[in-house]
Amino acid sequence: MEKIKILYIDDEQNNLNSFKATFRFDYSVLIAATTEQAFQFLQENDDIRIILCDQRMPDKTGVQFFEEIRSQYPDPIRMLITGYTDIESVIEGINRGHIFRYIKKPWTDTDIKSAIEEGNKFFLTNSMLKVKNNELQSAYDELGKFAYSVTHDLRGPLLSVLGALQIADTADDPEEVREILGMMGVALNKLDEYITSLHEYYSLKRGKLVYEDIDFENLVGDVAGLFKIAGSMEQIKFNVTINQAGAFSSDVVSLKIILNNLLSNAFKYQRKEAADKFVEVKIDADNTNAVIFVKDNGIGIQEEHIDNIFTMFFRATSQDIGSGFGLYNVKDALNKLNGTIEVQSIFKEGTTFKVTIPGRAHGTK
Amino acid sequence: MVQNKKQHFIVIDDSKLDCFIAEKIIKNTGKCESVTSFQMAEVALEFISTQTVPSHNPTIILVDIQMPVMNGFQFVEAFEKLPLNITNNYSVFIISSSINDDDLNRVHNYRSIKQFLNKPLTSNNLSLLLSKD
Repeated sequence: MEKIKILYIDDEQNNLNSFKATFRFDYSVLIAATTEQAFQFLQENDDIRIILCDQRMPDKTGVQFFEEIRSQYPDPIRMLITGYTDIESVIEGINRGHIFRYIKKPWTDTDIKSAIEEGNKFFLTNSMLKVKNNELQSAYDELGKFAYSVTHDLRGPLLSVLGALQIADTADDPEEVREILGMMGVALNKLDEYITSLHEYYSLKRGKLVYEDIDFENLVGDVAGLFKIAGSMEQIKFNVTINQAGAFSSDVVSLKIILNNLLSNAFKYQRKEAADKFVEVKIDADNTNAVIFVKDNGIGIQEEHIDNIFTMFFRATSQDIGSGFGLYNVKDALNKLNGTIEVQSIFKEGTTFKVTIPGRAHGTK
Repeated sequence: MVQNKKQHFIVIDDSKLDCFIAEKIIKNTGKCESVTSFQMAEVALEFISTQTVPSHNPTIILVDIQMPVMNGFQFVEAFEKLPLNITNNYSVFIISSSINDDDLNRVHNYRSIKQFLNKPLTSNNLSLLLSKD
């Protein structure tokens, strides 16, 4: 376990030396003879957990020093070292909330150690709370977006079908009824796609990664097979190049989500009038890395939208059905795998996504 | 109001099916002179901003809220910036599946929005709207 990093400030060099000598095995100790030096340390070390400061120093008191650093460095736990005579200022400091504990002079090793251990516990609880609060906030934000999108993405297609039923009811021409049925199918497919994305979203959020050796040939075959059945590939040239030089270990569910969404977009957002439509997949993998290119000559993405394409529910086009969920899920999956994604796109010419995923070495956790 | 006066309609909705439904219902009223659908609000806006011939009978615009690229509110904002001799030719109605209070309240912020209609559009709703005009 990494040692707790401590900053000790005292204008008497002897105190500093003996402090460092006593605790350097248990903790990572920084010592400062002046408050300027202490500031320097704080600037250079963002992992200082505990600051101990002598109350009586030439230029200012320990309480003053803590007051000064508090807003800029709120996280480290502040402790004051002082003799009995300063008790008034200690009480003041503690009551004003910027000192966690005071240590009486002369101190014993046990005093300091127990103070540090408690301070560290407090620090850990605080940082945990901060992390949890952030998670809670982002979960709450997403919930808000969800609640909003549910009305549109779940309710929308249902209302469309209801509306269509009402028309079909009064239509006399069988041709027209068939046309309406076809459109109802589209609406229901949209609903289904949304629910599938929702499922992907939750399996990514809650699911654990399961590492196994990936056979990219099989993986692409599986994913592409689905598009073939659905007829998405009609009149689109589909090219796959795979160079797999070694065993690549990753989570197959995440990889499928990534490939499936990128390919789905590549097939969907083609220029309808183009004669030479193509989608290309190129994968280079070895035991350290997999680099996946998905390239198409479709409608492309307008430059002003590029920054937003990974945002939940953002859609840059109304061509074809889409939930605004796909690339968000891709990005989410890549975050879990420590992967990255880059996009190059020219509006009305095509888009290339480059995904880089580090493989996990065998035998590591 | 002149009886049986026929109206022009514009429908703006990214869902093809919803455009189709609206078109059908509009045509079935018998009060429809023409109906034009747009799946992209920015295209509709472009179209509207180039129509400079004044009309005595405002064209009715039915616009969805949630659409990619330009949503219904963005459309209305851009529409309100057009010159009066254009905007005077239109009556704007929101048609949406949204049951979100923010959306419903937001409608009141736009002077050009006449009313909020719930999806799906029905002959009844539409007739009510037309008889009010």
